[in-house]
Amino acid sequence: MTPDERAFRADVARAAFRLGVAEGHWRLLRISWPHALIGVVAKDEREFVLRFNCMGFAENPPTAGLWDETHDAPLAHDLWPRSQGGRLGAVFRTDWKNGSALYLPCDRESIAGHDNWRTEMPAKIWRPSAGIVQYLELVYELLHCRDYTPPVRAVA
Amino acid sequence: MKTIDIFYQGERLNEIDHLEAAATDTLGAIKALLIQKHGTAPDALLFIEDGEEPLDDVLALDAIAGPTGAKLHLHRCRRVEVDVTFAGETVTHSFAPGVTVAHIKLWAAERKFCMTREEAGEHLLQISGTHERPAPGTHIGTLATCPVCRIAFDLIPDERVNGTTTYGAREAA
Repeated sequence: MTPDERAFRADVARAAFRLGVAEGHWRLLRISWPHALIGVVAKDEREFVLRFNCMGFAENPPTAGLWDETHDAPLAHDLWPRSQGGRLGAVFRTDWKNGSALYLPCDRESIAGHDNWRTEMPAKIWRPSAGIVQYLELVYELLHCRDYTPPVRAVA
Repeated sequence: MKTIDIFYQGERLNEIDHLEAAATDTLGAIKALLIQKHGTAPDALLFIEDGEEPLDDVLALDAIAGPTGAKLHLHRCRRVEVDVTFAGETVTHSFAPGVTVAHIKLWAAERKFCMTREEAGEHLLQISGTHERPAPGTHIGTLATCPVCRIAFDLIPDERVNGTTTYGAREAA
């Protein structure tokens, strides 16, 4: 096992991650290194699966996009959570890297080229000590904010 | 033997911790175990999350546990003075150290600054003079130490992620 995989497995064994699982906020579906599938529950109890790439964890931030676990493929855009023009839509962007990464300062792919975020949104910059829970807390909060709207299409 | 998950936070503890205990263990025994494990002063008090009063040592763990276990807090302060500032106005109240940041945000935003629940959801608490925004489940006791027993927050809007990028225009915000 590589050091980054060992670090990730230790991170999801920490109490903060396990408390989120116990409270039904998220759950670990599987690890196929360097990827990990984690489901995050929205306010309408719909589960959105994120496929994380955790290469270099925890010093390097992870990157994640919405994933269709059944078809083992990126989630079709009409199954994405929708926005009413607020905060959620600014993060769940189908036009950002073809939807492969959430537009979050703690995302490895999205922070590249956004050095301004380090001063404008320091609280959302990746903190290795906080671990994967930092990313999950931001996603969980967005899926529970007033801007959250269910997808166009229901899952088949 | 039935066991119960305990997720706990406390004074000078940097992160949530976990232990498993027998449902019949008394809270006094659990408190003694935590005090020994973390080298806390013996007069520390044990609280349940969002509870106002210290827990009674003679109670059994299963008397206070919920479906996902018990969420506890160990602290020397009986109360923590909390200041929340919004739009130039500061409100103050003393809370038990096991009270969550989420609870305090709702108290400040809805009860003191008259926001709707939805408006409150668009704001968060940031520790005054820092960029730190504790997670909603954080107990305020983790942010305050004895004998000061005080913490100050600013209530701020949760900003939309936005910004220019060095990538192409299609990818720019």
